[in-house]
Amino acid sequence: MRISTSLAAGVAGVLLLAGCSQGTTDEETEPAAPAASEEEAEVEETTADAPAPFDQDGVKVAIVQQSGQGDYFQQYLNGTKQQAEALGIELSVYDAQGDNATQATQLDQAIASGVDGIIVRHGFPDTLCPGVNRAIDEGIKVIIYDVEIQQCAPDAVQTQQSDVDMAGLVLEKMAEDIGPDVNVGYVNVAGIAPLDRRDTVWREYVEENGWNQLFYTGTFTNSTATDTAPLVDNALKSNPDVVAIYAPYDELTKGTLSALEQNPNLKGKVLVYGADISTADIELMVAEGSPWVATGATDPNAIGAVVVRTLALHMAGELEEMKVEFPPILVTQDFLRENNVRNMDDLRAAEPALNISDVSAADWIPSVTF
Amino acid sequence: MPEALRSPETVGRVRDALVKYGFIAVTVVLFVFFAATEPAFAQSSTMFSMLKFASVTAILGLGVTFTMVVGGLDLSIGATAGLAVQLAAMTMVFYNLTGPTAVAAVLLGGVLVGLANAVLIVVFKIPDLLATLGMMFVIQGAKLIPVSGQSVSSGMVLRDGSVAPGRFTPDFLLIDRGFVGPVPLPVVIMLVLVVVSWFVLSRTSAGRILYAIGANPEAARLAGVRVGLYRGLAYVISGLFASVGGLILVSRIGQGDVNAGASSLLEAVAVALVGTSVLGLARPNAWGTLLGALLVAIVLTGLTMKGFQYYHQDTAKGFVLIVALLFSFTLSRRKVRYTPAT
Repeated sequence: MRISTSLAAGVAGVLLLAGCSQGTTDEETEPAAPAASEEEAEVEETTADAPAPFDQDGVKVAIVQQSGQGDYFQQYLNGTKQQAEALGIELSVYDAQGDNATQATQLDQAIASGVDGIIVRHGFPDTLCPGVNRAIDEGIKVIIYDVEIQQCAPDAVQTQQSDVDMAGLVLEKMAEDIGPDVNVGYVNVAGIAPLDRRDTVWREYVEENGWNQLFYTGTFTNSTATDTAPLVDNALKSNPDVVAIYAPYDELTKGTLSALEQNPNLKGKVLVYGADISTADIELMVAEGSPWVATGATDPNAIGAVVVRTLALHMAGELEEMKVEFPPILVTQDFLRENNVRNMDDLRAAEPALNISDVSAADWIPSVTF
Repeated sequence: MPEALRSPETVGRVRDALVKYGFIAVTVVLFVFFAATEPAFAQSSTMFSMLKFASVTAILGLGVTFTMVVGGLDLSIGATAGLAVQLAAMTMVFYNLTGPTAVAAVLLGGVLVGLANAVLIVVFKIPDLLATLGMMFVIQGAKLIPVSGQSVSSGMVLRDGSVAPGRFTPDFLLIDRGFVGPVPLPVVIMLVLVVVSWFVLSRTSAGRILYAIGANPEAARLAGVRVGLYRGLAYVISGLFASVGGLILVSRIGQGDVNAGASSLLEAVAVALVGTSVLGLARPNAWGTLLGALLVAIVLTGLTMKGFQYYHQDTAKGFVLIVALLFSFTLSRRKVRYTPAT
C-alpha cells in the first residue's frame, strides 16, 4: 500500500513539473504533424485517346518493392501512386520491408492476384528471376527498377537512373573547374552496381585529363558517412595537396565533408564533387564556405512516376526499348545560391527538368509533375 | 436477460469456449473476410504462396516451441538461419561443392550452434535468454567474417579479382522452388516437421519429460529425469530447425544474402507464443505454432491485398498477437505453463 501511494505521489509530482515547463511558453503551439511526404502532383492534360488497356479505368498493377522504409522510398512510392492514379490504374503495393525472401513470396502473390502489370523495385536478380520469368510467361508485363534482371530474365524491361550521366555531368563540371594534370582524391567503394557504373566514368575522366589520383578510400556500412570520414581524414593528412575530391554517393560525400572540417588548414583549397540530392544535402551545399560545389540529382517522386509511365507504354505495346535510363541533372552550389534553394521543394520549383516528364511520355499519358 | 445466462456456470462455459476455439475462430473469420472481399485471396495459387510464406516462420517457430516447452527461449534462431544462408552459399559458390553437401553443411552448422547453446546453458549455467542472446551476436558477426561482409552470389568477383568457381546448383534451388504434386516443397517440409514435432512432444515419453521439465525442473530432477540432457536436446533441435528454415530462405533468395534471417526471430517467437492459446492447451505446442504462422501469413497477405502500408501491417500483427495472448493468459482458467527461466 505504501509503495503504491508513494508511486502515485511521484507520478503526480512528475506531471506537475511537466505541466510547469509547458506553461512557460506563451506562443500558441498547435501540435505539428510531420511534414507530409506526399508531394502534391500536377497532372498534365492529354491530347489523345488512350489505347487499350488504358481506354478504361481499373487496369490492375502491382509494385513489388524490396523496401519502402525511409524518406527516399516513401517519395518514390508517392510518385508511383500519383502517376498510377492519373492513368486510372488500380495499384496494389507489396512491401518486403528489406527482406529478400519475403520479396520473392510477394512477387508470387502479385502474380496470383491477377494483375496485368508488375513493377519490381530493387532486390537480387537471383531472387527475382524465377518469379519475373513466370509472370512474363503468363502474359504479365514486367518493369524492373535498379536490378540487373536481364542477366537471367532477358524479356523483362530493365530501368534505372543513368549513373553514367550522373557521373559524367559532375565530372565534366569538375574538369572545367580544376583543369588537367592536377592532384585529385577519390572516395568510393567497389562492388555496388550503381557505384561501379560511376567508377567506370571516373576512370575515363582521370585518364583523359591526366589527373593524378593521390588516394582512393571509403567504406560502405550502416553508417557510411560516419565511418568514411576518418578514412578520408587520414588520406588528407598524408596527401594535403589535392585540389578536388570526387565522392559519387551522398553518404560518401558527407563523410568527405566532415573529414575536410577536421583539416582547417585545407579550408578553401579542396573542392568536393558529389552525387545524389536531398534536403539535407542541399543544406550542406549552401552552408557558409561549403566545399561541395556540384552534384548530380534526380527526384525520387519523378522516378517513381516515370517507371509507371514506362510500364503503361509497355502494356500498350508502344515501348521500343527493353532498357530505359532516367537522366539526372547537374546541380551546382552557385545555382542553389542564386535561386535561394533551401530544400527539395525549392529545387523542384527552380529546376522543372527534375520532373523528367518528357521521358517515357506519350500524348495519351497524363504525366504528373511535382 | 434470463437468469440462466447470467449464472456463473454459463459465463464459465462461454469463457471456456472462447479460450478453446477463440483463436481458431479469429483465424477463420479473418480468412473468410479476406476471401469474400478480395477475389484473388481465395485462389489456390495465393493459398500456396501464403503457406510458403508461413513455412519459414513456422519451422523456426517449432524450434522455439521446443525451447519454450522446457521453460526457455532460443534467441539465436534468426542468426542460425542467417548462418545457414552463408554456409550454403559458401559451400556451393566458394568451394564449388554439390547441393547435397551444402545441405549437410548447413544442418551440421545448425546442430553445432544448438550444442554450443546447450553447453552454455546446461554446463555453464548461463540463463537461456542471455546465453542465446550472446550466441545470436556471435553468429551474426562470425558468419560474415569469411565473406568480408558481402552477399555471396553465383559468378561474384572475389578479392583477388578472380570469379567465384561455383554457383547455386539447380537441385539445391528446388528446396524452395520445387513441388510435390501441386504443393510447394517448403510447405511439405513444414507439414512434416509439424507432425514430427507434435508426435515427439505429445506421443512419446521424451515429450512428456520435456513438458515436465518446463512445468517444474526441480520436481523432474527429483523424479529421476536427466534434466540437463533434455534441456540441451531442446536447443539442439531448435538449432537444427533454424538451419532447415535457413535452407528454405537461401534457396528462395538464390544468394548468400547477409541480412537473411534477421527479421525471422521475433516473428518465430511470436507465432510460438500465439500458438500456446490454441484449443485452450495453454502450453507451447506444434499445431498451435503452425496455426500462429498461418494467421500471420493470412493477416499480412490480406492487408497487403487491401492496400495497407507496412506500418499498418506491423500494427495489425501486434494486435492479433495481443488478442491471441488474451485468450490464453487472461481468459484461461488453466495456469499457462510458460515461464522463461532467467
